[in-house]
Amino acid sequence: MRFELLRDLELLRRGWRWGEVRPRWPEPAAIPEPTDLEWSRAEPVRILRRLVQEGLWLPFTRLMTRPQVEGEEWLRNPDRSMILVSNHVSHADTHVLLAALPGRVRERTVIGAAADYWYRRPWLGRLVSFWLNTFPFARSGGARGVLHSSGRLLRSGWHLLIYPEGTRSPDGRLQEFKPGVGHLAGETRAPVLPIHVRGTHRVMPKGRRIPLPAPVQVRVGRPLYPEPGETPRSFTRRVERAVSELGDGSRAPEVAGSWIERWRATAPAPRRPRPGSGWRTAAGAAEGGERPHR
Amino acid sequence: MGRPGAVIEVDRNTPPTLFHFGEGVRLERLPLGTRVVYPPDPLPPIAHPERAIRRALAHPLEDDPLKALLRPGMRLTIAFDDLSLPLPPMVQPDIRQLVLEEVIELAATAGVEDVHLIVANSLHRRMTAEEIRHVVGDRVFTTFYPDRLYNHDAEDPEGNVFLGTTARGEEVTLNRRAAESDLLIYVNLTLVPMDGGHKSLATGLGSYRSIRAHHTVHTLRHSRSYMHPPDSALHQACVRQGQLIEDAVRCFHIETAVNNHCFPSLVNFMQKRETDWTATDQAAYLALKQLTDLAPPGVKRAAFHSMRAPYGLTAVHAGQVDAVHERTLAAVERQMLVEVEGQTDIVTFGVPYLGPYNVNASMNPVLVVCMGLGYLFNLYRGRPVVRQGGVVILFHPCRYEFDSVQHPSYIDFYDEVLADTTDPAEIEARYERCFAEDAWYRQLYRRSHAYHGVHPFYAWYWAAHAMEYVGDVIVVGGERETVHHLGFKCASTLADALEMAEQTVGRHPSITHLRFPPLMLADVR
Repeated sequence: MRFELLRDLELLRRGWRWGEVRPRWPEPAAIPEPTDLEWSRAEPVRILRRLVQEGLWLPFTRLMTRPQVEGEEWLRNPDRSMILVSNHVSHADTHVLLAALPGRVRERTVIGAAADYWYRRPWLGRLVSFWLNTFPFARSGGARGVLHSSGRLLRSGWHLLIYPEGTRSPDGRLQEFKPGVGHLAGETRAPVLPIHVRGTHRVMPKGRRIPLPAPVQVRVGRPLYPEPGETPRSFTRRVERAVSELGDGSRAPEVAGSWIERWRATAPAPRRPRPGSGWRTAAGAAEGGERPHR
Repeated sequence: MGRPGAVIEVDRNTPPTLFHFGEGVRLERLPLGTRVVYPPDPLPPIAHPERAIRRALAHPLEDDPLKALLRPGMRLTIAFDDLSLPLPPMVQPDIRQLVLEEVIELAATAGVEDVHLIVANSLHRRMTAEEIRHVVGDRVFTTFYPDRLYNHDAEDPEGNVFLGTTARGEEVTLNRRAAESDLLIYVNLTLVPMDGGHKSLATGLGSYRSIRAHHTVHTLRHSRSYMHPPDSALHQACVRQGQLIEDAVRCFHIETAVNNHCFPSLVNFMQKRETDWTATDQAAYLALKQLTDLAPPGVKRAAFHSMRAPYGLTAVHAGQVDAVHERTLAAVERQMLVEVEGQTDIVTFGVPYLGPYNVNASMNPVLVVCMGLGYLFNLYRGRPVVRQGGVVILFHPCRYEFDSVQHPSYIDFYDEVLADTTDPAEIEARYERCFAEDAWYRQLYRRSHAYHGVHPFYAWYWAAHAMEYVGDVIVVGGERETVHHLGFKCASTLADALEMAEQTVGRHPSITHLRFPPLMLADVR
């Protein structure tokens, strides 16, 4: 062992210049709580967003990408809130995925957007919340709070679209999923739908601002549920594997579902009794039933 | 209840008569005394098709209920008719969709995991994904496409098996998946009497090797007509092949019949008899006529091919093929049959924009012949409407235009084969094998959306009986050079055509106009 006191003192002397002006540490951005953005899910804004979507960017997205959707039966008649989990290679992913969703699901989908990217500037956060119905999703630290608010959204009937890789893949390859999705599924018992988007890196790769036309494929896998005793991390690995296999083109029943499961998933919803139609209404009232908020 | 078919005689008060003219229509004044044959009005459709289908599957003819035939672990294959039926394509939901959904629901309930759906497209072009989706509906499509719902490939050496030879020496092949299934269900849509029965499986899932056994000039000349199966040598060969298939595979047939409501409300005047036209119908005719006169061909084609027919289900039967087909034919004839008293010297009719082989494509000159002298001429029972040696006058622009994606072999057939000879027998002997086995046409059939290399020959053979039977064929409004290339005469107007026809059938000929579509079957007494 060498005696290094002099060297350490020298390091300290050179490393800190006492008495000089200290550099300012950047203040953390005031990231709004998801509850601050309730306005973006309120009725008049939803109608306005729907008009903008249907009239403006959905036709544009479809024209530019002609998305081919496989496995859309899993999205047809969801009887409960779902966590949609997709790979992420481009800013175009969200538009393509929303274009691929059936209208009823799209209207009830909120998107987890990186809080430190989209919500750093308040005006950008508000714009993207209106445009795409996003909410701030922390990529690091304080995840518990965000997971709590995500769970609240799921429980109040919203579907959640998140990108568990945390950021866009620089080379198109799937990156490791963060375990938040496993925690969220475990906490809410909501089904997790693995989705793989292919082709959006040609539309708008990382670093490009202007989209280019290119065909896009979206594959949706069968819903996954945490098994008893399965840890959030191992469930996240399972979801990651399903997305990866969808990307590889697998049509195995454990990924895409058996045809009977897919057939059952698209069974037409039973007809609801018409309001005011005699005994049915009376029976409903007697049970104290209230129409679920859709 | 709609009116039955009728034959009227043109007098001074008769309004002008509608002629289809490719992607267009025109009104013509027919000479006094001309007979005009009208199809029956559409039969009232079954009010609850789903219920009727469920009933048919639960109480099949001469077979067990479908539910009893399904069990876990079995291989189930469901084949269905391709887009050549019905014409024009139906508004959604297609009848086949309704049947498929009921059958698949039963299979799902029974836990049959191994289910495949095959488009029985024979040597026709492969259907596109969107066309398949239109026929089977969203639910079936998203569940099965593409790995369990696909087109039959008649040129896949691994995908077809040879089943044997009939007593008359006709070879029989079948799609391998179908042949190796525990149960093969065929879902059919019968528009005209030549469809359905044993022909569905024998041709729909066959290959060139099996289809060439009956798609010959000799067979078609001895099918009088092939629209009446008991008098059709073609159908007799199909029955022999079908029986061999039934011996090899357990089959269950589901056949449906539709009424003749083939035009959407916007152009419903084409469905009506001219005497029934209202002012609205006259205005619709005028608008369509101006559109088709002025619009470029692409626009006209897009407009006509976007039409969807509001056909209604009139019959659905399931079970053993012969028992089922007998009932289906009865339903079809109930809709189509018109009694016509005696033959005529000259028969006239317009050829519409659409035939079985040009869905979403132009009708090329070879297909005009196939449609006019093949399908429409043969819509008779007993005897043709026109007498032997009589004259057929067709209305069609008959332009030299081909769809290079769908009909590549038709182009070469027209340019090379018809330039040499138009005689079907000579064409068959000298050229058929060469086109049928051409590697490039085979590639286009398998990988693109092209009709098989041999298909233009079959289209030409369909007309073999008419070409041999009639004295002359005159095409009114056709492109002169193209019509002459086909071996027919060309006229500018109906009056000219009638005058030309008199040179063949003599002065003061009897004339009959067949007013289709909607299609009808002339029962000539």
